[in-house]
Order: sequence, then C-alpha cells, then structure tokens
Amino acid sequence: MMLFWLLLPPLLMFVASFSQNIWARRLLPISSFAVLIPVAILFRLPKPYALWRDYLVADDLNTYILLLASVVGIGVTLALLTLDRHVRIGQKAIYRFYRFFGLFWVGLSVSILANHMGIFWIGLEMATLSTVYMIKTNHTPAAHKEAWNYMIVGAIAISLVLFGIILIYASAKPLLGEKAMLFDALLHSAHRIPSPFLFEMGFALAALGMFVKMGFFPMNLWLAHIERAAFYPVAALFSGILESGVMAGFFRFSQIAGTVNYDHLFLFVFVYTLLTLFIVAFLIFRAKDFMRLFSLSGVEHMALIALFWVSGGTFAALLHFGAHAFLKPALFLSTGVLESGGRYRFAGALRGYHGVRGKLFWFLVGLFMLAIVSLPPSPMFFSELYGFGAMIDNAKASHHLLAMLGAITLLLVLLSVIFYRFVAIYQSMKYEGEETTKIVYASEVAALAIFALGLVALLLPGTMAFLKSIG
Amino acid sequence: MVDFLIGLFLATLITALFTTRLYRLLFWYALNSLTLGLLALTIGSRLHDRAMLLSGALTILLKAGVIPYILKVLSRKFELVRQIPPSIKTQYAIMLVPAILVFTFYLAEPISHMVQGNANYVAVSISSLFLSLLLMIEHRNVAPKIVGFLSMENALFLLGTTATEGMPMLVELGIFFDLLMAIVVINLLLYREEAQS
Amino acid sequence: MSALLLYFLTIALMVFLAPLLLSFIKGVKMWLLYKRPVSITQGYRDFAKLLCKESVISREASAITRVAPFLVLAPLVVVLFYLPPAVKGAYYVSFVDAFTITGLLALSTFFLMLLGLDSASSFGGMGASREAFISALVEPAMVLTIFGVSMMAGDLGVGQAGVNLAEHFPSEHMASFLFAAISFFILLIAENGRIPVDNPETHLELTMVHEAMILDITGVYLALIESAASLKFVIFASLFAGLFLPFGPELAWPLALLVFVGKLFAVALAVALIEVNTAKLRLFKVPNLLGIAIVFAFLSLITFYVLGA
Repeated sequence: MMLFWLLLPPLLMFVASFSQNIWARRLLPISSFAVLIPVAILFRLPKPYALWRDYLVADDLNTYILLLASVVGIGVTLALLTLDRHVRIGQKAIYRFYRFFGLFWVGLSVSILANHMGIFWIGLEMATLSTVYMIKTNHTPAAHKEAWNYMIVGAIAISLVLFGIILIYASAKPLLGEKAMLFDALLHSAHRIPSPFLFEMGFALAALGMFVKMGFFPMNLWLAHIERAAFYPVAALFSGILESGVMAGFFRFSQIAGTVNYDHLFLFVFVYTLLTLFIVAFLIFRAKDFMRLFSLSGVEHMALIALFWVSGGTFAALLHFGAHAFLKPALFLSTGVLESGGRYRFAGALRGYHGVRGKLFWFLVGLFMLAIVSLPPSPMFFSELYGFGAMIDNAKASHHLLAMLGAITLLLVLLSVIFYRFVAIYQSMKYEGEETTKIVYASEVAALAIFALGLVALLLPGTMAFLKSIG
Repeated sequence: MVDFLIGLFLATLITALFTTRLYRLLFWYALNSLTLGLLALTIGSRLHDRAMLLSGALTILLKAGVIPYILKVLSRKFELVRQIPPSIKTQYAIMLVPAILVFTFYLAEPISHMVQGNANYVAVSISSLFLSLLLMIEHRNVAPKIVGFLSMENALFLLGTTATEGMPMLVELGIFFDLLMAIVVINLLLYREEAQS
Repeated sequence: MSALLLYFLTIALMVFLAPLLLSFIKGVKMWLLYKRPVSITQGYRDFAKLLCKESVISREASAITRVAPFLVLAPLVVVLFYLPPAVKGAYYVSFVDAFTITGLLALSTFFLMLLGLDSASSFGGMGASREAFISALVEPAMVLTIFGVSMMAGDLGVGQAGVNLAEHFPSEHMASFLFAAISFFILLIAENGRIPVDNPETHLELTMVHEAMILDITGVYLALIESAASLKFVIFASLFAGLFLPFGPELAWPLALLVFVGKLFAVALAVALIEVNTAKLRLFKVPNLLGIAIVFAFLSLITFYVLGA
C-alpha cells in the first residue's frame, strides 16, 4: 500500500501525459508534491520497513536517498512548466517527455528502494531506456546522435552491472540459495561467502558499470556531450535522480565488498576515483559552456562521494551526496535561463535580471555556484572536511599514511584547480560581457527556492544527527 | 551436449563478428539465441527446473524468432544500410579475437575452483561479453550496434543459466521485459529519425 | 576379411568414388538451380574421353609439362594410404602426422603451380600466383587444425587419431572439437577450390585459380590433373569423415564401408549446398575467410588447453 502511494505521482504523470489537456500539466507539480507525504511517513515508520516482501525494503539509507530524489523530481516538474518558453519544443514532444519522465521516476524509485539486486537492475534499466527518449525530445541531429550514444553506452554499462550481479549471485548461491540476491542477506553473511574471488570479480564488473554510467574515467566527456545535446531538465534528472539511484546501488554493493575484502575495495575505488578526478579537473578547466561545466563537476562530486564512502566517511559521503543532489539539479535547471536565446557564453550570464524574481534568481544561482565549490557555509564544505578526515583516519589504521597524505595533497590541488575555475567563471558571469534582458518565470524561482531550502535543511543539527546515525 | 551447444554459441558469435551483411548478421544472432535457448532447455531438463525450461522456451521464441524478425522488418521500414563492413580490418580482428579469448580464458581460470558445475561456462560467457562489445565497437552503423547489444544480453543470459543454475524467475522475467522495452525504444528512435529527414 | 585386404579395398573404393563425388556436387547444384542435372557418371565419361584424346603441348613448354602432371598426382596417391581407416580392424599407417600430410598436399600444389608457370601464358602465371597466395594461408590453419584434433585424440599420427576418436569419443572436448571441425570445413572448401574461394566451373579470367593453371593442358595430362583434383577432394572428405564424424567403423565391414561412403556423400552435399547459397569471394577477400579458419583453429587449441573443454 505504501509502495502504491510512493509510486502514484510518477504513475499519475505517466497517465496524464496521454491527455493533451493543459490543466493536466499544471496540476502535475501539485501531485508531485504529494510524494513527500508517503516519504515523510516512511521516515517515521520503524526501519527496516518491508514495502514488498523481501524485495523492496526501506531503511534509513534509502529513505534518505528517496527523499533527495523526490525533491529533485518535484523541482524538475516545476521547471518543466516553462520548458517551452526557453527552448523550441513541440507540444507532442512535451507530453512524450512527461510520459518517459514518469517511467524514469518509477524505475528509479524502485531501484532506490530495492533490496534485491535483480530488481535494482530492472529499475535501473527501465530508467536508462526511458532517458534515451527524453534525450531525443530535442529535435536536433546532435541530440539524435547522442540519444543513440546514450542507448549504446548506457546499455553496455548496465549490462556490465548485470554481469557483476550474476557473478555475485553465483558466488553466494551455494551459501544462501535464492536469498543470495538480497542485499541484506548478502551483507549479513558476506564474510562467509565461499568464493571471494568470484564475488570480487562480480563487484568489480558491477562497479565498473556503475562508474561508466556516472561518467567516470574512460567515459568522462560522454555524459557531458549528452547533457549538452539534450534539454536542460534531462541533465537535472541525471544528476539528481539517476545518479542517486546508481549511487544507492554502489553504496550497497561496496558495503558488502568491504566486508569481503576491504583492502581490495579501497584500492580499486581509490585508484579509479583519483584517475577520474585527475582528468575531470583539467576538463573542467577547459569547459566552455554551462552544461559541460556542470556535468563534469557532477562527475567530480560523484567521484568524491564514492571515495568518501569507501574511506569510511559515511556521514561525509551522505552529506556531500545530499548537497550535490540539491545543488546540481538547481544549477542545471537554471541553465535554461542562463543560456536563454541559445547563448552559451559565460560572460554576462548573471546580468540583466530585473524585478523581484530576477533578483532572487541571480542571487540564488550565484549562491549555488559558490556553494558547489564548497565555500564555507555550504554543506559541501563540511562534508569535504569530514571526508578528508575520514581518509586520514583510514590511512592511520593501515600503514599507508604517507601515501595517503600525498594522495590528499594531489586531491586538494585538483580541487583548487576546479575552485579557481569556478570563481573565475562566476566573476565573468557577473562582471563581464554585455547585458541582455532575460526573463525568469515564477515556477523556476520556486524550484530553485525548494532546492535552497533543502540545502539549508541539510545544515540543521537534526539532519546531521540523522545522517550520522545512518553510518 | 552442453559443451557442444556452448561451442556452437561461441562459434556463431565469432562468425557474426566477421559478417558484412545485415541480414546475415541477424541470422547469426538468431542462431546464437537458438543455441542459447537449447542450452537452457538441456540444463533445465537435467536439473528438472521448470523456471529454466520456461525461460529457455521464451528465449527461443523471443530472441531467436520475434526479435530478429522485428529487426528485419524495422530495417526494411526505415531503409537501414544493409552493407555493414566492420571498421576494424579483418586482419586485425583475426589477431584481436584470439587475444580476447586467451585473455578471458585465463581471467576465468581461478574461478574454476570455485563454481560448482563447470567453470568453462563462466569463461565462455565473459569472452562472449567481450566479443559482443567488439561487435558494437567495430561497426559504425546503428543496426549492428543493436545486434551487439542484444548478443551482450545473450552472454548475460548464458552466464545466468550456467554459472548460477538459473536466476530467480522474477529477475529473468524482468530482463525479458526490459529487452522488449529496449526494442520499443529502438523503434521510437528509428521512427524519429525518419520523421526528421 | 584380412586387415590388409580391407585397407586396399577402402583405398580402391576412394579412388573409384573420387570422380563420382565431384559429379554428384555438380548434379546437386544444377538440380537446386532448376537445371537438368548431369549424369552422376559424367566424371568417368570425361576421364575416358580425355584418355582417348591426343595431347598437344605448347612449343614454349619445357620438359616440366610432361613430368609435372604425374608429380601432381603422385603425392595425393601417397596420402591416400595414410588416411584414417574406414573400418575397424583394417590396416592403417599410424605414424604419419599432420605435417607429413600437409607437406605432401603442398608438394602436389607446388607441381601444379610449376605446371601453370611452365605453360608460358599469362593466365598460367596468374593462376599460379593466386594458388600460392591461397595455399600459403591454408597451410598454417591446416596444421593447427589437424594438430588440435590429434591432441584431442591423444595421438599425433593422423591414422591413429582417427582410430582413437572412433573408439573413445572425447565428449568432454566437444566445444574444441566443434571449432576444429568448422575450421577444417573452411579449409576443405579453400583447398579444393570450391565456390567462396574459387569457382571450378568457369573460365572467367578474373576469377579462375585452378583452371587458369591448366588451361594449356590437354589429353592424358589433363585426365591426370582432373583425377588429382577429384582425389584431393576425396582425401579431404575422408579426413573430415574420419576425424570429425568418428562413428561407424566399429560396424561389420560392409556396413562400415557403407556408412563411410554415406559420410563422403554428406560432405559433398554440404559443399554443394554452400556453393549454391554463397557468392564467390573477391580474391582479396579470401584471406578474411581463411582468417576465420585460423581463428577457429586457434580457438579450438586454446579451448582445449586452457579450458579443457
């Protein structure tokens, strides 16, 4: 029953997309808001709460992630109201967009709540396939090409994940039987898995698939190009909901892998994320437009979250995750205004706003821009502090303190490259270029305000205590 | 018998790698799926596993019959290019394919002590995963990439049936569902392409 | 029956069947193309006709042209004696390995090429160079394949391998066995100049390989060359039958011979079906086909060694 209420808003969206009534569209944000009620109830319920037998189980971790995803969903629904004012899109295409957005949301809600590896995968695959069509709503040759690109590479990534899942299942089946598909059962008896090598190979393949899906090392520019070619809400969905789903899976898998063999897990993720960050930092330095800039910065943050998580900084990872899930969709949604009229340049993007809405808009966007590079009041600042602290603690426990300090120095250098670039861009947005008038709509400001509120909520002591209790 | 079918599976996949015509490629894909389905039926009847028998029958019906047919119809409808010369030259592919096979066979060697049943299946399915990746990489056209994606699905199914003696029914059905959804999405993607030009 | 008698009987049967098989392929092809098929005895008739004809030798040709046809045929006749037995209990030569057989086949090909060069026509040279090109690619795959099968059978000698396979079929090595069979079948097609590689029925200058070398040969010499071609096919078919279809020899001898003949015809039928269904490859695409053969041969070996399957 609970599950039904949780999936109702996206399903309503799916159904409403078949009627061409304009009022259906107007009402959708309200129905999306309604998703917060079951999520809030879910928070109150005793954990773990079985939503559907063993398959979908809500615990603190995925309820938190589901909340983040729901807030992003609400924000995107709000911003979608004015999509046709900023970009050229046909009426039919908008409804199609809603239809696949609904499917996407259903898939990822299932995926986030899954306690069953197979169901996790099915939800993810459904989301991937529905995204392909959302990319395609933009009727340009570039978008068409990138939709295929996403289809192919996404399919490869998702197949790798399934491959890993099957190997993990094979490794634990002699011990657990059919229960070897359940995350909690696996975690519970991870140290007794009869063939750790098989498990680790499965984990490596699954993690590789998830990393590719988030745009890590070999695929750094892939996601950026896709988000450039698609409409801006797609990018917001990617960074807010899709990566939440993938990350949720990564959290689960790495918890088990950490029990099986922590050193291997740590080394694998450490090397992978460091490599990713190294490349991404320089790609960010060369980014010429907002979409690619934000997308690459999303990759950077995902790498940091994965790194913090496996270093034992659960709290840091979750805080960073929450902050990123609010900041990045907000920035992606605001690119619709920042790049209005197809102007991709940084210079002057924050100038030319009038009226209360406009003022509020540029104030919020400026704030987000500085928050994403973790200037102090931002939750990211605290999460990075805690994260690096966790890394050093972790290194102290082992005997690689010096190597870890070196790695952290490298990391800080890379982050400062990104920091420098972002500040330079902010200044260029505010003080350079000619002034052109841009129109901001109320729904967009509302969406940004929701994200800002979420960000503030993350900083409340209550939230922090909750996040600490998860780890 | 199982060894024979698994050999046939790999053989059809390798032949598909060297194919330069779309319909031939679909034919090899169908044959590949057929051997896979027969394999599932054989193993399922040996284990008396009704779920596996069902999924084997579904595989033969869907992957060896319906999907290649749909792809053929789609390629007719949207006038896809039917000459699909691989962009990796055959000389290099001849060296690449054995290299991949040796690599994956040795990669899977430590597993042989761990999996009950036969470790070769894991090796073959990993190598067929890589070969389908190669199939996707070596073609510029869309249609062979789709076939590569589908044969990747086949490699996964092979791993699922042989290494674990059958996945839970729920997952198998979910995979089939997603496969059908993939076909629908492919159809939509192709459709828009036509509408645009 | 005594072992030696069966041995010679099998060889005689193969020699007898050789022209029949090629006519059979031709007949099946024509039948499938809705033509009136040639008589199955056409091969013998051609042979008899050629024997009666006067042989003309070009003025530019040297002594090689007189000698070479015999030397094309002779190695193949020798190979006939080394093949795996068709009947259990028959005499067989156990020690001859893959290298010897490939070498003898290459020797025959060598004299054929020499013959083509000796005719001093441009076609002969062209055909010889093409033949050299193809056979250079065939040999490694051939050695690999027969070697792989010999490993599975547990003996390097080809005859002994055939016997071992018939006595104890290695069903645990089914996968690598299959790969070797695919590879060998491609080689069979390539070495005998059947359709995807060479078309034995045309004299089109762009495509011919085998026919180009023997354009100038007439009379008895042509009869020798033609019978060499048919012997080569029967050798390959019986190698395929003996190594890759290893069933039947344990039956009573008339039945076993019957099964053997059936297998030869089955191979011929398969070749005919492939010939009808495929177009001839361009010469420079032939390496791709042979490359596939090499891949499969190699695959069979590594599957055998690494996976043991």
